[in-house]
Order: sequence, then C-alpha cells, then structure tokens
Amino acid sequence: MAELKTVGTSVQRKDAIEKVTGSAQFIEDRYMGPMLHAKMKKSTVAHGKIKNINIEKAKAHPGVKAVLTGKDYPNKIGLYLIDRDFLAIEKVRFWGEPVAVVAAVTEKAAAEAVELIEVEYDELPGVFDPRESMKDDAPIIHEDLGSYEIVPIFYPKPGTNIANHFKLRKGDVEKGFAEADVVIEKEYYVPQMQHVPIETHKAAVQWGLDGKLTVWSTAQSPNVVRQLLAKSFDIPMHKIRVISSYIGGGFGCKAGASVEGLVIPLAKMFPGYIVRIVFNREEDMQGTFTRQALFSKLKTGVRKDGRITALEYEMIWDGGAYTEYGVNIVRAAGYSSTGAYDIPNVKTDSYCVYTNNSIGGPVRGFGMCEMQWGIERQIEEIAKQLDIDPLEVRMINGMKKGSTTAAGQVVQDVDYHKCLKTVADQIGWGKKEGKFRGKGIAGLVKCPAQPSNAASSAIIRINEDGTAHVMIGATEMGQGMLTVISQIASEALNIPIDKIDIKVPDTDFTPYEWQSVGSRITYTCGTSVKRAAEDALGQIYRIAADLLETPQADLTFDGKMVYSTKDPEIKATIREIADSCKKCTGEGIAGPIIGRGSFVPTNMTNLDPETGQGNPGLFYCFGATGAEVEVDPETGVVTVLQLAAAIDAGQAVNPQLCKSQLHGGTIMGLSTALYEEVKFDKGVMLNRNFTDYKISTIDNTPHIESFIIETPETNGPYGARGIGEQPMIAVAPAVANAVCDALDIEFNTFPLTPEKVWKAIQDKK
Amino acid sequence: MLNYSYVKCKDLTQAYDLLEKEEQVYPLAGGTDLIVGMRGGKFAAKIIVDIKDLPELKILEENDQGIVIGAAVTLNEIATFKPIIDHALVLAEGAHTVGSYPIRNRATLAGNICNASPAADTAAPLMVLNAQVKITGSHGKRTVSINEFFVGPGQNVLKKGELVESVLIPRPYPNGTGVYLKASRTGSVDLATVGVAVQSWDNKVQVAVGAVAATPVRAISVEKAVNENGEKDLARAASLARDDISPITDLRGSREYRYHMAEVLIRRGIEKVMEV
Repeated sequence: MAELKTVGTSVQRKDAIEKVTGSAQFIEDRYMGPMLHAKMKKSTVAHGKIKNINIEKAKAHPGVKAVLTGKDYPNKIGLYLIDRDFLAIEKVRFWGEPVAVVAAVTEKAAAEAVELIEVEYDELPGVFDPRESMKDDAPIIHEDLGSYEIVPIFYPKPGTNIANHFKLRKGDVEKGFAEADVVIEKEYYVPQMQHVPIETHKAAVQWGLDGKLTVWSTAQSPNVVRQLLAKSFDIPMHKIRVISSYIGGGFGCKAGASVEGLVIPLAKMFPGYIVRIVFNREEDMQGTFTRQALFSKLKTGVRKDGRITALEYEMIWDGGAYTEYGVNIVRAAGYSSTGAYDIPNVKTDSYCVYTNNSIGGPVRGFGMCEMQWGIERQIEEIAKQLDIDPLEVRMINGMKKGSTTAAGQVVQDVDYHKCLKTVADQIGWGKKEGKFRGKGIAGLVKCPAQPSNAASSAIIRINEDGTAHVMIGATEMGQGMLTVISQIASEALNIPIDKIDIKVPDTDFTPYEWQSVGSRITYTCGTSVKRAAEDALGQIYRIAADLLETPQADLTFDGKMVYSTKDPEIKATIREIADSCKKCTGEGIAGPIIGRGSFVPTNMTNLDPETGQGNPGLFYCFGATGAEVEVDPETGVVTVLQLAAAIDAGQAVNPQLCKSQLHGGTIMGLSTALYEEVKFDKGVMLNRNFTDYKISTIDNTPHIESFIIETPETNGPYGARGIGEQPMIAVAPAVANAVCDALDIEFNTFPLTPEKVWKAIQDKK
Repeated sequence: MLNYSYVKCKDLTQAYDLLEKEEQVYPLAGGTDLIVGMRGGKFAAKIIVDIKDLPELKILEENDQGIVIGAAVTLNEIATFKPIIDHALVLAEGAHTVGSYPIRNRATLAGNICNASPAADTAAPLMVLNAQVKITGSHGKRTVSINEFFVGPGQNVLKKGELVESVLIPRPYPNGTGVYLKASRTGSVDLATVGVAVQSWDNKVQVAVGAVAATPVRAISVEKAVNENGEKDLARAASLARDDISPITDLRGSREYRYHMAEVLIRRGIEKVMEV
C-alpha cells in the first residue's frame, strides 16, 4: 500500500470550532417558522384496555389547536417487526405509553391541556419478568402478533409473548459435552440501562403547502426514518425530506424511527406550521428505548487442558412492550454467542419476549455487553476449576485467523491475542498488589448487526477551484464521522482536507445511507466515499488526458496539478480541469466532475432458520479490557484504580478520535459496571432522572490507558474497521473479574454497587 | 409546566410581606432545591421571592459571637472560608459534598437546612458544632438550636412569614478536629445514603447522622457510651447508634445497609477525630 497522507493522522475535528464555540446548531437552536408545540398524555397503567379517552376539556383549553388519539394514526411502525403504535390504540402495554398528543401555540398550553385529558382504563394483569412472560398462562401482550408484518429472518411465536426465537446449532453439542472433563453451568442477569445522551429525543415536522413533509429530527438514521414514515403514513418517498442536524449523542437510542411520527398527523392538520416535540429527561428515560434486560443460562464443557469443547446458551431478553428493533438484538447475540472464542459445538436459544416494561431497543454494544458478560464471567469459573490462569484460558480458546464464529463464519484479519496481551501487560497481570486488590481481564468481539444488504452511498462534487463537497447520509452525533469521512475522501482524492467540505445529512440532497449504527460508518460510508473519490479522480485523469493529449497512464495528480511523469512541463491545474474544461480551441471537453460511490455487502448471507449458520458479519472487531480494583470490604465500595483498553481498529483513520472512542466507551462501560440500572416497580420506572439514575462522573473515572491495535481489515477502506461500540463491551466483566479476584466472590450480575458488594461479602461469611 | 411570578426583593421587609401575605410563596436563595422541586411537583410555587442578592444575607464573617453565615452565602464560599476551615472543618467537608461544583456555586447553607432533607449534608455537621439558626420575620427575630430546627422530612420550625437570616457557628469553637463521612452510590455528585459528622470537643465527641431517620439526628447513645461510660471499643460504641436511628429502604439504599453504614462511618469518624 502506498504511504498514507491524511488517513492515520489526528487532524482537527471538522466540527471542532462550531462545537467549542457553541455555534453548532441543534434542533432547538433553530427558528424554522411559525410553530406549534406538542406534548403527550401518558398511560398511568402498565397494561390495560382503554375504556374511554375524554379530550373535550383539553381541546377547549386556550391555545390548544388539536388533540389526537391513537385512532388518528393509520398504521403501526417498526424497523424489523411492525408492532409499535405511535399512540396506544384500544390498549396500553407499558406505563408511560403515549395515549394522546396535544398541539398548542405554546409548550405551556400544551402541557396544561395534557392534564385535562381524562383516560379510563380497565387494568389488565401485567407481566414484568420475561421468564414469567414465556409461560403458557402469562397474559398476552400482543394478541395480533401473528398478523404483524416482519422481516422474514425473525421467528415470532403467535399466541405467546415470544417476538423472536433465534436458534443456533453448530457441531454436535452433546458430543462436545461428552468430550469435556469439566462442565460448568451458571445463571446470569443483566438489568436494563439507559443511554442518557446529553440531548434528548426531539423532532420538528412541517407539512408544506405543496404537500411536502419536512422532518427535522435527532435521528441517527434519516434514510430509515424516511423509509419507515413513508410506509406507515403511505407517503411517496420523494414527498418526505428528513434532516438530521447535529445530534447530542445517540448511543443507539436514536436509531430507527422514534418520535417523528407522533407529530406528523398534527402537522398535516396545520400546513405551513412547524409542529415540534421535545422530550424532557424523564420522557427520554422512560418513553424511548432501554437496554433490554437479559436472563441467561450458560453451560460450558471444557477439557483439562483448557480447551472449550461445547457451549449451551439460553438467553431470555426482556423486549419490553414493543420489540420492533429488539428482535434483532436477540438475533445478533444469538449468532455471536461464543463471544471472542472458537468453540466447535454450540447450542443457543435466544428469546425476545414481550413484557409490560419500557420498550427494549438498541444500545451501544447491541446485545454484546449483555451476552459477553456471561461468557467472560464463565471463563473465570473455568480457570478456577481447572486451576489455569484465566488469561491463558482466553488465549487457548481465543479466535485467530481462520477460526469460525458461532454461526460458522470464518474470521480473517484477527489479532485478538495481541489485544489480550496488551491489556495484561499494562495492568501488570499476574502480580498481586495486596489484600482486597484485584485484577481482571475480559475480551470482546462485535460485528455490525445489520441486514445483509444494508447499503451506503456517497457523492463528491469537485468545485471549479478544485475544492470538494462530500455528500453522505451518515450522521454526526459526536463520534467524529464528519472528520473521518473527510480524511478518507482527502486520502483518495489527494486533495488536502481543508479543501473538503462535508455536512450533516438531508435526504433531499444527500445520498442513501442505511443507518449510522453498528460501528459501521467508517467501513460502509468510508468505502462509498473512497469509491466516489476514485470515480472523481478517474474523471480528473480522463479529462486531463484529453486536454493534455497524453495517455492517462503517464499522468499523476498532486492535489493541485495534473502533470506528465515523463515531461513535467505537460501539466494542467485542477482549476483548468474542474471548471468545465475546454481545449485551447474553445471546444468543451467535460462538464463538472461528480464522483459517485456506493456499497452493499457481498460477504453476508441469511442464516439457516434451524441452525443459525451462515455469514452474519460484515467485519469483526476484537478487543480487550483490563481492570485493577481495590475493594473496601467493610462498605463494599469498589475503587477502580486503572483501566486498560485495546481495540483492533485495523487502521485508525484518526488516532485521536479513535482514542477518544476508547476512553468514552470505557467510561460508559465502567458506569454500567458500577452504577447504572433502571429500576422498575411493576413497569413503573422509578429512577427517571439523574437524582437516582447515577452515571459515572469524571470524579470516579480512573486513569485509562488505551491502545489502538492495527491488524488491517482486508476489505475496509485503507484497512479500517469501525470501533464505536466495542470499547464498552468488555469493561463490566473486566471490572467484575477484578472484584472477584480481590474478594474471591462470584458476581453474576452488575452493577457492582457498594450495597450489592457488601451483601455478597456478608453472604460469604 | 411551571407557572409562577418572580419577585426580586429589594429588602427583607418586602420578602417578609410576600411570605406572610401570599399563599404558595417560596423564598429563593440558591434555588437548587426549589426549582428542581417545583419541576418535580414537590413545591407548588405561585410566587418566588428572590433573596439571594440582599446584602444583609450575604454576610460571611467571624465576630465575637462566632462565624456568621448569611442565608445567601453559597456552599462553595463556605467550603473555602478560612475561619470555617480552621474551626469548623466538618462543615467545610459537608458543604463540599453537596451536589456538584456548579451546584455549590448557587446552593446555600440556609437552603440546605430549610429544605430539611434528612440527607442534607450540612445538617449533621451543624449539629455537632452546636450551630444556632437565626430566624427573622415581620414579627421579629428568634434563635433556634440546629438540634431543634428539623421537624420531619421537608419540615422545619419556620412559621409562615419567617426566613432563616443566618446560621451561627458559636464560640467557643471546638478545640478538636471534625470529620464528615458520606456514603453514597457513586461517591460523587450524589445524595447521601448515610452521612456522618463527628466532632471532637475536649476529648469528648459529638456525633450526628443524616439519611437514617425522619430528620438528621444526634447519635446520643454513641456519644454517651464514649463520653460518659468510657467505652473504648469504638465498634461497640458505634453499634449503639442503632438505638438513635430508624432508616428506611429506598432507591438509594436498604434499611439494613444504612444501619451498617451508620455504624461503620461513626466508628471511622470517631477513630479519626480521636486519632486512634
């Protein structure tokens, strides 16, 4: 590979000045026109039939323009399983579910009117534990599950609360257990958590007098929002325009479609008005996606030499009231169910189960944090029972080039062992530091969870002066996409990055991108941009060859000038080439240069419905976390002394941004390891704001040493792969493994709050 | 949605008038409990009386009486005021653990005690310092011991029309050291699960505990065991706190854990101030 110029350097963020000065515009910063404000009336029961909704008083309230209920919304919505109502119709399925929406001239009037709406419910028995919900006599939450539209790679069980049952059978699990010297079986539990982005969910919608619907949204994925709204509201796609401004953090909660549809019927009633909805923190916590809780049983067979011969994994996920997106988390965890390890015989059953809790959905890690918690904890038990160093058990079973995943996909470009070794060295693995101190390591792997044909595209326009505009559909939510994509364009075009402009997406003007999720954008959008740049560059060479009457093969472009490698006097400036190039006779050669590139995976397949075998991964990103802790045995307080993170980025496009992701993901993981847990009482979310939903602050963040490993991804742009989610995944098990090392106590759930650790110490006594 | 009138008071008399004559009227010093409480539905305020810039409430000084902390003095000012650090370190420590630094730029000591949360981080320190609360109103002034100030969760002895004007850390100051130990879920920017203040006075100790009863309480049984009965086994002495407290289970901690943590922190606090 030729030496890289821009890729691999820590250029300044494209949005740095805007973000630092506060001039970056988010939805609420914009005055877009005459506005109406929307507020929701929310359910006060977790499961119930709606007997009656009286909206008359609300409608009569001064300032109120309209009040709508579920019957005003024609269809359901959903990414994979179309099961979700914008507003509850006939019944409510979770506490806080919107049952009516008010539009008024001020937010205050809308809020007051909401209080005047009277709803009568016939409360139904609720079910709040997915294990209970799977039982035959459980109350059914979606009676019409059998009639819902669904992508045919999911397997719901109509007549039950099971929205998806993912099955995986690899090798012969009975034979594998027969070969084992030791069989370990444990249960694990991971509670719900929340994303808590700085910016809550927001949408503003305008139904133009020309019949065009414009949607400003905090959506991570404007193209998917457009597609889902087009279907749900039966609007042709060219009549919907979705604009994602800068987004104040996503972490998965703004994937798919969320709040946009809620205000569309209101906007339709008042053409020309902008109808805006802004979720407050409590609404964001309770009314949008939560991370699904996981109850799991994991059974591992292992030989005396530490080789794992068989794995049986049952996962029961709390999908919450709607599982339109959650069904795919359950699938992803299923097909990845051996974690970062090569295990020949596997039997996995992963169930997505409806309950009357808040809606489950995507969160950074997309099931991997929850699923790999069990794996990484169980490896510690294996090590203990066999009296082998747990790092060694990871080394023995860790995937290498040519290993197969649970789904039977062969992995390439892997150096998981280097990740493990790097963090082990950093934390001084093997050296005991004192009583109540401990060290722990955990590994991870994640591939993007996306449809096998999830596509991406890019357009690059070369201006008359040789500067360029890169147009893409990916979103900027703090992760640095604008910068990384510009670097790839700059590298491929050989144009300096400061001559490249890039903006956030607008579906009327920017080309298709499936979703900014799954740590996929650097790879997918990056590939599209690289191809668009190569297309533009090809045009530059063709035009130059014509202009200079020189074969293309003899030409080279240095970013400013195309010249002949044989005779440097034969040359043309980029301006001459890009500005509707003409010959000296005045005859035109070519018009403006527009490069185009698109990408769709060709290495992914559907999975066999019975065995789950196939190729679900676009690429696999491996990594590891190391932790050192000290525990106060009297109070249960865990102090994390240091963390080490190693992620195999293939090629860090921007090392500084890469390291920021490693730090950010590690802190988010630490926060879940020690503090974060959504608490419910019969579906009522108790800790809906930061008084009682605690997250890590800088005060409890220890020194983090981060390492970028670079094993190039053969098909990634310049060898790069995505790393956005991965740094979070191994943190909770690494911290827990360290706590177990300190106390010699098993923890099969987290967060490891002081009280929980103290109780475990008491129980041991 | 909040719907209230806001009055920026020119003097104390205007504040008394409003507080006495109007209904659903609340004084605002820092506002860090008030505004959050209004948003959460805890306070149905129709009128907010802003007293934070009244000069007579901004006093932070040391005089013959002791250290005077005006009602509008912020927690960050308290935590860095030299006489407090020198003579009432336990209070500086307690003040320093309330919320976050930006919150402490606004939040006041008077607000912290008037809010009367059982978990108020400055309450237990004030109790072990024998602080006096100077109350003022249109009918005159009165002084109440901090030990008498709290009535129940969110309730204090203030009558309609009354305000806390200042809090006095009286002379003579304790000649020993003091410590505030706080257990919380994250150890940072969090409410106390249990908060313990211990102050040494001439080889005697005073102990107060927050978040373990309807109000912050003195651990009288512990004090008696150490000061009067000469209990040398501090773990045993601390365990007597169980007679003084009656914690509840909530999102922040269980009753059982609070009992345990009160004991642990009291023992550690006494060990520290007695330099055991």
